[in-house]
Amino acid sequence: MNDVLVGRALTKRFGQTVALGGVDIAVRGGEAVAIMGPSGSGKSTLLHCLAGIMRPDAGEVHLLGQRIDAMGERRRSALRRTRFGFVFQFGQLLPELPAEENVALPLMLGGVPRAQAVRQAREWFAPLGLHSMEGRRPGELSGGQAQRVAIARALVSKPAVVFADEPTGALDQQTGQDTMRLLVEATKHNAASLIVVTHDPNVAAWCDRTVEVRDGHLLAARGARA
Amino acid sequence: MNLDLTWRLLRGGGRKSLLGTWLTLGAVIVSTALLLFAVAANFAFAARGERGAWRNPVPVEEGPFKEGAVAVEAARFDFVGDQAITVVDLAALKAGAPAPPGMPRFPAPGEVWLSPALAELAERLPADQLAGRYPHPKGVLGDEALVHPGELVVVVGHEPDDPELTAARSDDWILGKGPARVASLAGTPSEDSEAYRALTLVASVLMVVPLLVFGGAAARLTVARRDQRLATLRLVGATPGQVVRMTVAEAVIVALAGALLGAAGYAAAAPLLARIPIAGGTWFVSDLFPHPLILAGVLVAVPLLVGLSAVVGLRRVVVSPLGVARRETPPAMRFVRVVALLAVLAVFPMLSRGSSVGIVAVAVGLAFLCLNVTGPWVVGLIGRVTARTARAPARLLAGRRLVDDPRAAWRTVSGVALTGFVAGFLGLLSPGLFADDEAPAQLRVSAPAAQAPEIAGQARDRLRAAGVTAEVKVTGESSDKVVVAALGSGADTATIDRARTALAGLVPGRTPTTADDDQRFGIQILADVRVGTIVVLSVSFLVAIASSGITAASSVLDRRQTYGLLRLAGTPLEVLDRARRAETLIPLTVMGGGAILVGVFCATPFMIGGMSTVGVITLAGCVVVGFAGVIGAGALSRPLLRSVTADPAPRPD
Repeated sequence: MNDVLVGRALTKRFGQTVALGGVDIAVRGGEAVAIMGPSGSGKSTLLHCLAGIMRPDAGEVHLLGQRIDAMGERRRSALRRTRFGFVFQFGQLLPELPAEENVALPLMLGGVPRAQAVRQAREWFAPLGLHSMEGRRPGELSGGQAQRVAIARALVSKPAVVFADEPTGALDQQTGQDTMRLLVEATKHNAASLIVVTHDPNVAAWCDRTVEVRDGHLLAARGARA
Repeated sequence: MNLDLTWRLLRGGGRKSLLGTWLTLGAVIVSTALLLFAVAANFAFAARGERGAWRNPVPVEEGPFKEGAVAVEAARFDFVGDQAITVVDLAALKAGAPAPPGMPRFPAPGEVWLSPALAELAERLPADQLAGRYPHPKGVLGDEALVHPGELVVVVGHEPDDPELTAARSDDWILGKGPARVASLAGTPSEDSEAYRALTLVASVLMVVPLLVFGGAAARLTVARRDQRLATLRLVGATPGQVVRMTVAEAVIVALAGALLGAAGYAAAAPLLARIPIAGGTWFVSDLFPHPLILAGVLVAVPLLVGLSAVVGLRRVVVSPLGVARRETPPAMRFVRVVALLAVLAVFPMLSRGSSVGIVAVAVGLAFLCLNVTGPWVVGLIGRVTARTARAPARLLAGRRLVDDPRAAWRTVSGVALTGFVAGFLGLLSPGLFADDEAPAQLRVSAPAAQAPEIAGQARDRLRAAGVTAEVKVTGESSDKVVVAALGSGADTATIDRARTALAGLVPGRTPTTADDDQRFGIQILADVRVGTIVVLSVSFLVAIASSGITAASSVLDRRQTYGLLRLAGTPLEVLDRARRAETLIPLTVMGGGAILVGVFCATPFMIGGMSTVGVITLAGCVVVGFAGVIGAGALSRPLLRSVTADPAPRPD
């Protein structure tokens, strides 16, 4: 398949610290890529640059052939809302909203009427093992359940790419494995690409390939392609 | 140990934690300064009343001494321009009669003593307009004789059988006090000073309650920022007692510092406050300083209240450490809150203008507090309705936020909503304007019927001698006739004052007055009620809007992670702004409107006539200022929202 997301010569500095020193990376449609590296290696910075959260100091990011790093904040926001999905370490669900409204929110932000957005959101609960959890608030969910709600939220608007930053970091090993399986399966089922930042090889093993970041540079690639 | 740990956690909390402390400190400073103002105003009016008491004689028959009258005293009002002059006539019955306040000795017959302001005015105006009425002043009265620094007072000495002290006078307190044999010159506070004290008490209650709410909100604001940390301490084994002590220590230390700074701020502002004219004059600065014991009481009460408020705010953490740490669905608030308000409101139809001021003040205070207690319940209800009916994300977020923490949402709008109650209450009580007929100027003085023609003749002679053109006639049907000197429509203030001076002493113990003079005190009280309303509403709105701004800024900081996440997921800032605005304006509209109606309802038993135009304008102005203030205060935290969501990345790795 063609490359969906491409980063070219990405450079990012924080003061004197070089977080990214000219990174090149390409992700194909439906591909799951793990970005590994120790703390402070720059892997999260790479994810944030690719996701349009952060602008690189130099280099380019292209989504489906469209350059996104040069876009203004408003357009990048719209892009994140419609083309990307996010899963983070602690689920990062909105504590005030019940689970189904957390999942429906990206759709509502995209202009889908509330009733339809909630109906679409509910369809994700049973496949992810969240039957009858629709009305619960995040504080009433376990860590694994909250992550599955976050996966549903990331995928509900049919994004091109899902970004996951240490998605199992706060879970025990078994729950973490279950969560990764669901994340990879659900992403592939929706033909979305997946980029996972992790320092856990067990998590990386669920992906098609792994790239390793050290001191802001890609070291090596394992798996299908470099 | 607790203090040490509290201090270390406070310092280690970083900028965010210190910001909360600064916000609390600022809120307590403002609260204390305004609280002192509200308390001191009562003492200031009491001081005025006591200083003016000597001019309000208590006859020996009514006083404790049935025998032993030492003097005869009478008081009446004279006028110059649009100002009133208090004229005190005194005659000693025994040698060694006590010196009146502000005088070195009892005035001898024929002596005239002027207050400094009257002496200055008498020098400034031509003698035939004022000084001619009080010739050859013997001395100047000291401050102890005066209600306020600019007061116009004259003390005139007489023989006991002087007609000024034997002729009958009116019993109407507005016109003065008839001659009375007195055992001392202690007197008693006048009816008008008592009326002012009663009004001040009600105004203080209206100001104090929002201030206490504001101080309490500030304290809970600190707690809200600490609850996560304290819940964690509970999780690791801190006892409820330790958590409470740490919270109280932190809140009380900050509140004590704030109370001291607030008192200093009030002391610095007192000279400016002394310039607010009430009851015809500005204030002695010393009147505006409450007694040291009262000051000490406020300095102790404020930190205690803040500490208590902090404990109440922490109740959920202490009871259930998991409650805050895991953010469970908050328990629904009980309907009993609404029942309490309804019970208090049910009392009001039983009250009337004749009810004791104390009972009215307590009822108004209770209604106020119950409104505050009901607020979060109503906000929760509004939140459920908003969330259920929301179609757009902004309203959904706002509604869910209101349901999630109705108390926090109420804190943002409570000040302005409660000020709506004040506005509703005072708006209805603001009396309408007096009829302002442009009648031709004329001076009227009542006289015994038998002597009226002779007095009218004297009046003609005196006015002619003074060069004042006037038509003098006698009117009236009763035993007291009225001698009227019509000065014509072209008479200016100087002409009227010349006529007053010419007619001074025409009828012993009675003052020739114009129609305006007769309304002078009514107009004065009306003006004072307006000034009081403006002061109370200004204080309330300042507090409310400051409270709203502080709470809005704090809310952004507290929810920075949520806002950051929403931004990261692509939520436009406009949606966040709309959600925040809806979160404030929806409860403000419902509760502000409700509070105004409750205020109007509470004021109905005391209403004089219909609702005045001034009242309607006051109310409308309050609605506009309240909404604009809250929107403005909320807008001030928009840059903060942009700043905390500028880098939405959850980790900087």
